[in-house]
Amino acid sequence: MGVIGYGLGVIGAGIGIGLAAYGYTTATARQPEVQGQLFTGFILGSAFVEALALIGFVVALVVK
Amino acid sequence: MNPFDVLTNEIDELVDSFSSTAFVGDLNMGVTQYSFWMFVAVVVLLVLIFAFVKKQQASLVPQGRFVNGMEFLIEFTRDNICKSILGPTWKKHFPFLATLFLFVLTNNIIGIIPGMRPGTGCIGTTAAIACVSFVYFIVMGIRKHGAWGYVKSLAPKGVMFPINLLVWLIEVFSTILRLITLAVRLFCNMFAGHVVMATFSLLATLFIAPLMQGVSAVAIGQAGASVMWVAILIIIYLVEILVAAIQAYVFAMLSSVYVQIAESDEG
Repeated sequence: MGVIGYGLGVIGAGIGIGLAAYGYTTATARQPEVQGQLFTGFILGSAFVEALALIGFVVALVVK
Repeated sequence: MNPFDVLTNEIDELVDSFSSTAFVGDLNMGVTQYSFWMFVAVVVLLVLIFAFVKKQQASLVPQGRFVNGMEFLIEFTRDNICKSILGPTWKKHFPFLATLFLFVLTNNIIGIIPGMRPGTGCIGTTAAIACVSFVYFIVMGIRKHGAWGYVKSLAPKGVMFPINLLVWLIEVFSTILRLITLAVRLFCNMFAGHVVMATFSLLATLFIAPLMQGVSAVAIGQAGASVMWVAILIIIYLVEILVAAIQAYVFAMLSSVYVQIAESDEG
């Protein structure tokens, strides 16, 4: 059950990181000169989203 | 024998080995493997900082990789964590935020080295740092607005009476949630990263085991898979180095943002 729960939780995180990458690539295509600044924001956003997925992972592992 | 059958039991053992065990004293008052490596990290950090200060004072122009590298780190903290978020009052908060950043960063980096454990890989350590940060930004808010003023400044101004109260309640709730999310985010990143790395190294060892017992076509095929697991492990290891730096940055930056919110004039 824990594995299924983790899979469900990861859906949201996947959509989140996908959206972040989408915004990053679109903005870079429009304005390549701000790529450096955008990348920091992208990495930060991904770190926040990824943390949620990892919380699901840890809960699935620790809580039996 | 299929190596995946053994894996489930091995992973249970692995996760058990990640829970804190005290080797001096007991769990209430003692040194666990995590706090031991935390002390190591603190010592390493202090040695680095003092060596840096001494070397930097030796000449007016920074010379050598070490001094320049440390200066880059400090300047990164100053520009990206303090100046860009806090604005003109950054100087007051710089010592605290730089301490947070460097402490978390050293802990994470120390934990990446094989055989060592991150001090931040245990919920106790991260909760303690998060509490420090939480108390710090509340105290800063109270200093700026006064106790009652800070309580009032949680709710935005210019909202009608009954909704005002509701917004205030939600804001109080989200302020308390900051404490939990700060601690859990860092802990989960460190813990999960290390569990994943350990799982892949387990897979690599489990798949190479049949080749040790005797050479056969199946054993050689599994050894090939083992090489693949090692390749994935190396990639994950590189990603974990990145995560260690990013999580330290995120922790310090969020603390800085919270201080900025607590000190801002418009509620």
